[in-house]
Amino acid sequence: MPELPIPIPPLPTLHESVFMAIALLTVVGAFLVVAARNLFHNALGLALTFFGVAGVYFVAEAEFVGVAQVLVYVGAISTLITFAIMLTRGMMYGATSPLNRQAGTAAIIAATVFVVMAGLLGSLPWPVAEEPIVDGQIVIANLGVGFVTEFVVAFLLLAVLLLVALAGAIVLAQDRK
Amino acid sequence: MNNASLELNIVALAPAASMVIFALLVMAVDVFARGTRTQPVRAATPWVALLGVLVTAGVCVWLLGQPVTTFQGMAILDRYSLGIAFVVLVAAGLSILVSARYIPRVNAQVGEYYALILLISAGMMMMGAATDLIVVFLALETFSLGLYILAGLRRSDAMSSEAAMKYFLLGAFASGFFVYGAALVYGATGATQFEQIAAMATNPATDLTFIYPGIALLIVGFGFKVSLVPFHMWTPDVYQGAPTPVTAFMSAATKAAAFAAFYRVFLVALPSQQAVWGPALATLAVLTMTLGNLAALRQSSLKRLLAYSSISHAGYILVGLAAGSIAGVEASLFYLLSYAFMNIGAFAVVTLLEKQGEMDADGARLRGLGQRKPLLAAVMAIFMFSLAGVPPFAGFFAKFFVFAAAVQGGMSWLAAIAMLNSAIGAYYYLRVTVVMYFNAPDAETVSEVKSNWPLNVGIGVALAFTILLGVFPSLWTTLMESGVVTALALR
Amino acid sequence: MDWLNLLVIPIIRSVVIIVVLLTGFAYLTWYERKLLARFHVRYGPNRAGPKGLLQPIADAVKAVFKEEIIPGHVDKVVYLLAPALALAPALLIWAVIPLGKDFPAVADVPIGFLWILAIAGVESYGVILAGWSSNNNYSLLGALRSSAQMISYEIPLGLFLVSILLLAGDFSLVNLVEAPRAWWEWLWLWIMFPLFFICILAETNRSPFDLPETENELVAGFQTEYGGIKFALFFMAEYISMITTSAIMATLFFGGYALPFGIGSDILPILGPFILAGKVIVLLFLFIWVRASLGRPRYDQLMGFAWRTLLPISLGYMIITALLTVFFK
Repeated sequence: MPELPIPIPPLPTLHESVFMAIALLTVVGAFLVVAARNLFHNALGLALTFFGVAGVYFVAEAEFVGVAQVLVYVGAISTLITFAIMLTRGMMYGATSPLNRQAGTAAIIAATVFVVMAGLLGSLPWPVAEEPIVDGQIVIANLGVGFVTEFVVAFLLLAVLLLVALAGAIVLAQDRK
Repeated sequence: MNNASLELNIVALAPAASMVIFALLVMAVDVFARGTRTQPVRAATPWVALLGVLVTAGVCVWLLGQPVTTFQGMAILDRYSLGIAFVVLVAAGLSILVSARYIPRVNAQVGEYYALILLISAGMMMMGAATDLIVVFLALETFSLGLYILAGLRRSDAMSSEAAMKYFLLGAFASGFFVYGAALVYGATGATQFEQIAAMATNPATDLTFIYPGIALLIVGFGFKVSLVPFHMWTPDVYQGAPTPVTAFMSAATKAAAFAAFYRVFLVALPSQQAVWGPALATLAVLTMTLGNLAALRQSSLKRLLAYSSISHAGYILVGLAAGSIAGVEASLFYLLSYAFMNIGAFAVVTLLEKQGEMDADGARLRGLGQRKPLLAAVMAIFMFSLAGVPPFAGFFAKFFVFAAAVQGGMSWLAAIAMLNSAIGAYYYLRVTVVMYFNAPDAETVSEVKSNWPLNVGIGVALAFTILLGVFPSLWTTLMESGVVTALALR
Repeated sequence: MDWLNLLVIPIIRSVVIIVVLLTGFAYLTWYERKLLARFHVRYGPNRAGPKGLLQPIADAVKAVFKEEIIPGHVDKVVYLLAPALALAPALLIWAVIPLGKDFPAVADVPIGFLWILAIAGVESYGVILAGWSSNNNYSLLGALRSSAQMISYEIPLGLFLVSILLLAGDFSLVNLVEAPRAWWEWLWLWIMFPLFFICILAETNRSPFDLPETENELVAGFQTEYGGIKFALFFMAEYISMITTSAIMATLFFGGYALPFGIGSDILPILGPFILAGKVIVLLFLFIWVRASLGRPRYDQLMGFAWRTLLPISLGYMIITALLTVFFK
């Protein structure tokens, strides 16, 4: 067999191809968020992106984080966003231009940041996990224990944060007298 | 997960916890003690909230005698965190006094307002106590979220809604910057606790590529919260649109809280990178002072004037951080405390100049105040002198200490620019006084100045401390001195 | 081997489950019509085949051969996406439901519980998209009602699930079925079952909580603009949701694929799926019974019940469960 001039890159493994598909989905969703002309489509793009991110977590064997992502971001936040859009009909069916006069500058800045970050990320040697996580239950249990031991301050503060949000919602939403 | 090493010293969280408990109490009073339509018991809510502030202050005074305690390396109780807690308590207490008669005119939701003030204060205290990036972020979000809502308290008013919306959108964006920065610092060092970050950052084996963008993004995030130029755009609009007592609280307390964490992150977690952030912060300080003062020269609205003045004051305080020394930290703490008294005092006077249904007062309304209301004009003049940095008021020593720290830290040029800026600032502060005393009252702009006793008490306290801290600055410095040293000895 | 284990076998198992579910759906319509007829003292379908048993097949053929109409005023992509998104969650939940000792779930992930909650949260998308893309006031109202209702009832549902989780102490549904329970645990669970069932009724938009698709006020709500096979997909989504939620309830409350008192399961593990199916059929009867017996509440009553009654109860239930778990387990 003659030597090929260019070595054929190895076929992606199943893991890699699944990751690629999910990553593509995420990027498409993100693109929809900024580029679609209809606000509702933007919101759906956002949901798609969240779903994609959840998928990335699953591929990384962080099922708990992935499911939490679906539960919170896809199930609750995106639904509420679409809900809010549906309640403001003026915004629903109109097509708004996603570009304003700062679009060019923003694109340049975003591109620069992307190039810099991608360059940095690509240049670093990343540690590789030695072995896959065997028992997900233990991971979740550790997470729970962590919440009430190591990170209990953060956990308590989170409760205060949610309390602020609740009180604030009441202030903003209650009927004017 | 080693349970033996847990240090759950609840005492380290006591000030914030006390505020949260009183916030819940305020809500309960609001719900269960509604009273009748003619005799609303709800008027009790400000006093419950004030009681909360006083009790917490008592707790803090008691804690001053306690040794430094840490909570799982996530939060710490030291003189520094207590100092910030005192500043926040001063701001909260004075704002509650100013709000007592003001807020019912603006929004019927009285109970939630005071509960939110207390919860926000709790978040701000955690900013001072946090020794972990995660806790800093959560505390930041806690108080920011509350402030977004308070800024939009007056829902029927377009300016107030605009203020809330603008603050929220830009604030959320800034939080994004902060988180990204924190994530990059974590990526570089593999730690979120300040001491571990500091240890990793000095470890030659650590790859520090990501720490530099991380530091830059952290500066952006904090810079927004303390309104440093060029991240200050929101400040005038939000300060103008928010109800005046909220603006007063926001200007003093947010600065204290955000600077608190700003200082601790940079001085405890990242001291090894001072060569990187020191010059950057010095540049920002120069920009902030200069632009804030120049813009303030051109304002006619009193609230916008004070907003730009608050930007320039952020610049002065930042000089203390750029100095990067313990003296700088102490000076900044003193500055934050003095600023809380004099600035809230000034805003309290502004509330008196507003007409019914208005949320801002034009500078022209000050005309002839010296003749119409001599006492009020004198009080306002003192606050203005103090903000300008004229002795013997608190503002003088605040500036003096900060500039002295800069000179000690080998940044004489920065101190020189700051002094030059004080001179520019003096112009517009003194102009307010000139308008009050040397302009004849204009028939159209004469407003009915209605006073009320809680407000008077608030102004009185602010005035008393503005003078007291100016005459005896040692009152505060001796209280705090030893403590700040312990706090930074941690690094 | 990698491909075989990760892709081929799960796909085969998924296809089998889906085929069974689709057949189940078809005969669920027959079951419901027959039962409703009994409640109304009628005969029900009795022309196609013996006892009308071929009726579902006739219906399917009819739906498939209907003309494919896409109204001109709809947002086409979203309009076509909606029925698929309505059906997908009901099928996705089956990934984690254990079918028997030798037939573990397709994906026996350690987070089966959360998976159910997460997918339940996604379920409202089909309806929202349908209502919005139809560009029709009635559809929009139906979709708004539906999503508000689903979000509201998801909260007590979630809290009840958390309570069950507290009792089980484990995220895996297989362990939930296999682990032995004390008598008071069963009792405490069953006390909650009626409330849980109410939440499920609201989540699946089933009568008496089928306000999103009321014929008389909203002209069938979000489905107004859908016909033919697309309408059939929505129909399928609703009925498969019933089957799915019944399977969940059977697993959570009634021991899933296991017989009571551990009878027989070790002798004939092949029986697992059939035992589960039997329990599902009994629970489906409950759905239909409720539909035949109760009228619809007003919309504000529906929402008020979720927030003012169910939410406090579920919170209290959770707290008590936590205490019970701490002190008795």
